[in-house]
Amino acid sequence: MKRRAFAVLALLSLAFCLAFPALRFLGRISVAGFRAGLLAASAAWFLFATLWAVKPKKD
Amino acid sequence: MAFKIATLAGNLDKLYEFDREPVTPDKLQSWTRFAGMFAGEHVAATEFVIGAFFVLHGVTARDLLLGLLFGNLLAVLSWAFVCAPIAVRTRLTLYWYVRRIAGPGLMVVYNIANAVLYCILAGAMISVSATAVGLAFKIKSPALTDVLPNSLGWVLIAAALGILFTTLAVLGFEKLSRFAQVCSPWIFIIFVAGALATLPKLGVRPDFSNFVEIARTKIWNGVAAAGQEKLGFAHVLFFAWFCNLAMHIGLSDMAVFRYARRWSYGFLTAFGVYPGHLLCWIASGIMVAGVGREMNPGAMAYEAAGLAGVGGLLLAGWTTANPTLYRAGLALQSITPNWPRWKITATAGAVTTVLACFPIVFMKLLDYVALYGLILMPIGAIVFAEHWILPRLGLEQYRAENRGWIINGPALSVWAATLVFVFLLPLHLYFKWLPGYLFAVAAYTALSALGRRTAPRGRS
Repeated sequence: MKRRAFAVLALLSLAFCLAFPALRFLGRISVAGFRAGLLAASAAWFLFATLWAVKPKKD
Repeated sequence: MAFKIATLAGNLDKLYEFDREPVTPDKLQSWTRFAGMFAGEHVAATEFVIGAFFVLHGVTARDLLLGLLFGNLLAVLSWAFVCAPIAVRTRLTLYWYVRRIAGPGLMVVYNIANAVLYCILAGAMISVSATAVGLAFKIKSPALTDVLPNSLGWVLIAAALGILFTTLAVLGFEKLSRFAQVCSPWIFIIFVAGALATLPKLGVRPDFSNFVEIARTKIWNGVAAAGQEKLGFAHVLFFAWFCNLAMHIGLSDMAVFRYARRWSYGFLTAFGVYPGHLLCWIASGIMVAGVGREMNPGAMAYEAAGLAGVGGLLLAGWTTANPTLYRAGLALQSITPNWPRWKITATAGAVTTVLACFPIVFMKLLDYVALYGLILMPIGAIVFAEHWILPRLGLEQYRAENRGWIINGPALSVWAATLVFVFLLPLHLYFKWLPGYLFAVAAYTALSALGRRTAPRGRS
C-alpha cells in the first residue's frame, strides 16, 4: 500500500477522534457510543500512523 | 579537588563531543520544520494536572484566559528575543557556551543540578500516569495534601510503572522517541475530545449559548478548594511565562535554535505553547470540573474519554518521561564515565521511580515547576550578560576560556547569590524569578567590571 494512503487513513482516523466527541456534545450519541467510537478511531490512528511513519518515503 | 572537577568536565566533554563545533550553514533547517517540531511539544501528562490545578486554586475564567494568552505571549517573546538570537549568533548548544563563559567545572555543577531536576520531573509524570493504572485496580488516588504515599497499592503501582518506563527507556530510547512522534497529535486530540465530551455533563447546551455562564459558575468559578491558595491573573500570567523558564530565559533551547536560519524562528514556539499551555490547560480544567473538582488525573481522563482517555494519560506520561529519563542519564554520565548507557539510564530510572512513589511530586507540581526554572535561571542571566552587555561596556568576554579557569568565580558567586536573593525576596514564589534575573544580570556585569580592574590579564 502506498505511503500516502496510510497518511490519508491516519488523518481520517484522527478526524474521527474529533467527530465522536463532537457528536456526543451535540447529543447525537450516547456516552458508551462515544467512548467505543473514540477507542476504535484511536486504534485506527495508531495502526495507520505507525505504518505511515515506518514506510520508506519512496514506495 | 580541581583535578577531580577537571576529570569530570573532561568526561562531559566527550559526551557532548558531537556538537562541540558551531552548526554549519548546510545543516540549518527551514521554518516549516521548526513549526512542525514545536507543534508536537508541550503536550505532556503534566498538562492534565496543571490546568486542573488552576480550577482548584480558584482562578476565574477571565483571569485564566487573559493570563494564559499574555503569559504564553511573554514566553514566546522570551524565546524570540532572548534565546533564539544568542543561539543563531553562536550556533552552539548551551553546554558549550556555558563552558566558555563559566568554565567546565561550573558546567558539571549545572549538569548535576539538571539531572536531579529532570528526575523529579519524570517522577511527576510517572505519578500522574499511576493514577490511571490505579483506577483499574481501585487504588485510591492520593489526596491534594498528601506528601507521603497513602497506601501500599499506590507505591506498588508507581514503582511498577517507574520500572516499566525505565526498562523501556533502557531497551531503546531512539525507537521510543519515534513512537512518541506518532502519539503526540493523538494525545492533543484526546485532551480536546475529553473536554468537549464533558461539556454536556456540566450543562453546556449544544449551541454553546450558556458556555460562558457555565465556565464562570461551574468550572473557573473563583472558589479555591479547601487548603488551596487562591490564584489570580498575575499568577496565571507568570506561571505560563515561567513554566518553560529553563528553556527560554535559561537558554537550554539554544540546542534547538542553533539550527534556525533566523532568530525570528523563536516566534514559531507559539505553535507549541498555545495548543499545549492554553488549550490543553483549559481542557483539563473542564475535565476536573467533570469529576467534581477531584485532583485525580486517571479519573478525569476516564470520565471524560473512557479507555482512550486512560490510554492517552498513560502514553502522555510515558512518552514525556522517556526523554526526560534520557536527559537525566546524559547529565549523570559525567560522574559515571565508565558506565554503559543502560546502567546510567537504569540509575536515573531508579531515582525517578522512588520519587514517583511520593505524591508530593505531582500534588505540588506548580511550585516545583517554579523552583525548577528559578534554580537554573541565573545561568541564563550570566550568559545573557556575557553575550550582550559585556562587549557593549568594552569588557573582555570569555575570561574563563581565555585564562583556562575551571570555575568562573564571579559566575558561581552570582548563581549562589541569586538563589539566596530570590529565597529572601518577600514575594510569591511565582514572581521571584524576574527580579532574580535582573539581579543576576546586574551582579554578573558588576563583578565582571570589577574583576577587570583588579585582576590583570593572565591571572585568575
